[in-house]
Amino acid sequence: MSALDKLPAGHGDRALLAGVVCLLVGALFAFTPMRAQLPSFLYVFVEVGILFVVYGLLVLGLDLQYGHAGLVNFGHVVFFAVGGYATAMLSAQDSFSGIALGYPWPIGLAVGVLAAAVLGLGLSATSIRLRGDFLAIVTLATAEIFHSVFVNFQGIFGGNVGILGVPRPIAALVADGDTRLVATLFVLGGVTLVTLAAVTRLTEAPYGRVLRAIRADELVTRSLGKSTITYKTQAFVYGAALAGLAGGLFALYNGAVAPGFFTIQVTVTIWIGMLLGGAANHRAVLAGLAIIMGLRLVSRFALDVTPVSGDVFASIRLIVVGMILVAVIRYRPAGIWGNAQELGVDR
Amino acid sequence: MSLLSTDGLVKEFGGLRAVDDLSVSVEEGEIVGVMGPNGAGKSTFFNCVSGVIKPDAGTVTLDGADVTGDAPESLAHRGLVRTFQDTRELETMTVRDNVRLAAPDQPGERTLPALLRSGAMQDHEATVRERADELIETFELDHLADEYSSNLSGGQRKLLELARALMLDPEVLMLDEPFAGVNPTLTREIADRIRDLNEKGMTVVVIEHEIETLSELVDRLVVLQQGGLLVEGDPEDVLSDERVIEAYLGGADE
Amino acid sequence: MGLLQEAIFGLVTGSYIAIAAIGFTLIYGIVNMINFAYGEYLTLGAFIGLVAATALPVPLPVAVLVAMIGGGIVSIVLARGFFTPINDTGPVPMLLTSIGLGIALRNAIRLVGGRSARYFDTETATFRFDAVPSLSIGPIDLLGGFFITSEHLIVIGAAAAVFVAIHGLLTRTDVGIAMRAMGDDESLARVRGIDTQLIRDSVWILAGVLAGLAGVLMAIQTNVSADTGFSHILQILSAAILGGAGSPYGAILGAYVIGLVLAVSTAFLPSSMTGLSSAVAFVILIGVLLVKPSGIAGTEVREA
Repeated sequence: MSALDKLPAGHGDRALLAGVVCLLVGALFAFTPMRAQLPSFLYVFVEVGILFVVYGLLVLGLDLQYGHAGLVNFGHVVFFAVGGYATAMLSAQDSFSGIALGYPWPIGLAVGVLAAAVLGLGLSATSIRLRGDFLAIVTLATAEIFHSVFVNFQGIFGGNVGILGVPRPIAALVADGDTRLVATLFVLGGVTLVTLAAVTRLTEAPYGRVLRAIRADELVTRSLGKSTITYKTQAFVYGAALAGLAGGLFALYNGAVAPGFFTIQVTVTIWIGMLLGGAANHRAVLAGLAIIMGLRLVSRFALDVTPVSGDVFASIRLIVVGMILVAVIRYRPAGIWGNAQELGVDR
Repeated sequence: MSLLSTDGLVKEFGGLRAVDDLSVSVEEGEIVGVMGPNGAGKSTFFNCVSGVIKPDAGTVTLDGADVTGDAPESLAHRGLVRTFQDTRELETMTVRDNVRLAAPDQPGERTLPALLRSGAMQDHEATVRERADELIETFELDHLADEYSSNLSGGQRKLLELARALMLDPEVLMLDEPFAGVNPTLTREIADRIRDLNEKGMTVVVIEHEIETLSELVDRLVVLQQGGLLVEGDPEDVLSDERVIEAYLGGADE
Repeated sequence: MGLLQEAIFGLVTGSYIAIAAIGFTLIYGIVNMINFAYGEYLTLGAFIGLVAATALPVPLPVAVLVAMIGGGIVSIVLARGFFTPINDTGPVPMLLTSIGLGIALRNAIRLVGGRSARYFDTETATFRFDAVPSLSIGPIDLLGGFFITSEHLIVIGAAAAVFVAIHGLLTRTDVGIAMRAMGDDESLARVRGIDTQLIRDSVWILAGVLAGLAGVLMAIQTNVSADTGFSHILQILSAAILGGAGSPYGAILGAYVIGLVLAVSTAFLPSSMTGLSSAVAFVILIGVLLVKPSGIAGTEVREA
């Protein structure tokens, strides 16, 4: 029996296969005359679906940090924002606000990922030794600082308007609106699935064992010869880089970035999705995120049939979201599909 | 030259000297017992040597190299591995994973081989699994291998911690109260294992309160009191030493 | 405007942040949690005061009293409902719970109170001191004429009264002494026969009372909307951590540092970037956590 048979090779490789298929289908829509037609009621599903796969990258990175290594990052949106802004500023052709350098978009995307990773490295170098709740505060405050920098330095970041004129590679290839949306969903969904495969491989390998050991007891892990600071830094930087990728892809899909897309609400949404699904389980955190984002769909449809205003509905939805977070922590601390013993919450 | 030694070790906590000018040395292949009344500084001594805390003064030498203040992970790489008094299992991991984790030099603990599922990682992991299963079997934990270690009894935890430490194939094994909370049968069993390891060449340092088992097990006893060295030598001589008797009787009302 | 004027604004901001920061830091020290919903306690207090002052209507001092009592009740009810049951799950689940509760409360307030900002109808007397000469260094005027309103004086005076009362409570009363003991070492406090749950409840009530007062003062100064408290929570938190989390005296000091930094940075920043002044406060917060995590006086928050 070869060693390959003994290693778990299931979910990760299936995700890889599915991801590659999605990318190919997306490419088919983009490069061939093949066209898709969406029934009008499906529009909103595809739109929320695109946002879901982008946020999916965020939640996978966050879960690597919190679910596996136990790092409480409550400013995850900052990496998403930095990735988005860096990509936008480098690749935007012309924008009446902020900087637009007009480089080819792949360079913009690469710099976006890099910028987020570098910020992650800087933050972890300074703060990774802090106790969980204080790390949460430092990351949260960092996100707020960047948010107000984006808003206030209008000459560079375009203020509240943000940066416009970011190239949209898929839109450039596909003129027809329906096909463009479907192709975008497949391409970005493919990226998320490939990422799922990668983090699954990483965490099923001995690498993941070390991360989980750090979460359980850092001192013991050190005394077994593991350089835990290195691992924590890596997990933090990988999560940040994934968020940077998500931000870059979002900018290239949306054609613009603005502070309004990168609020603390994003961090809250992915945290609740992760905890609801069950931390330390990649597919569970995606499913949890799907539930939370599904609520947006429900409220959109409900809005059509009830006579109340959109504001009221948004408030009600957020009350529900807040209470879900409270209830999950109290009654199901391991989430819906999480393993309570693995998370140490079965006491 | 001795394998492991401390020279003039000092550690203070809030003005209190937990370890006070302590010089101890351990020869290669020895089993040394460390005893002393509560608060004598045994665990602080262990923590200073194993890099868990930094001593305020003095040096720790391992195999001729000055390792004072080195991190626990780098000491583990140098072959010094310890267990903890309050058995620190990785409770959210299974018995199997606890033992496998300790395997040194696993290429799969680096990002790229893990992502690529490299052949080196898989070959190494196969060896690790085999070795871990052997150790688990040796310590008669095989029926619990897939249990989370939080479900283990106190004695089983001591066995698991020992098995996990052995996965690193240490040159010096430092055991902090390996018999605490363990029933007499299991105590004898653990003691036998330690003796076996020692006969195969491993150097062992043991902190223990269970004086009878300890004195039977070790080649030499070191008795600490108030952070300093009180007496050291042959177990029988040490145990009949007036100062030791007094220290223990004096400490009895603690 | 001269720096002196900014300093007065900073003193006022520091005063209501200080009152809130005391409550926040007491919860941190004794319940061992960062309560991110605390901003909403301020908002609730402000709304309770507003309703009392406009709907009943009662005179302002009575409305303040109503807001304080209301804040205390809100705080203990929320604590009993949400935090006490998960007291031993550790700081991170408690922090997350408070974040969820904060979102729910904020939106519930928005649902009931609407989106627009509301104002306390107060009569303001303004005292001007225009005769003070300017002392300019470059574009910055170090002195200059200034004014102070009766509202400013109320806020600063209320804060001073709170400091005296809190100091008396912590040093002269059994409950206060027990609080301090618990903040130092909870298990030791329990061994000494202190009813830790009773003390925790007292802290929740006290923190709620302080939030009610701070909320109304904040609202008198500016206005009150669903986001009033939330927009100040990071400043409150910064003040508490700056002063050493868990230390009420440190929190007071931290609050005035934050208040003055906010005001002075407004003076120094170009007018298009005044929004950055809150970022300056967070930079200080991060700086403190990195350089001296224990704050001006407090406990270690680093691991290993």
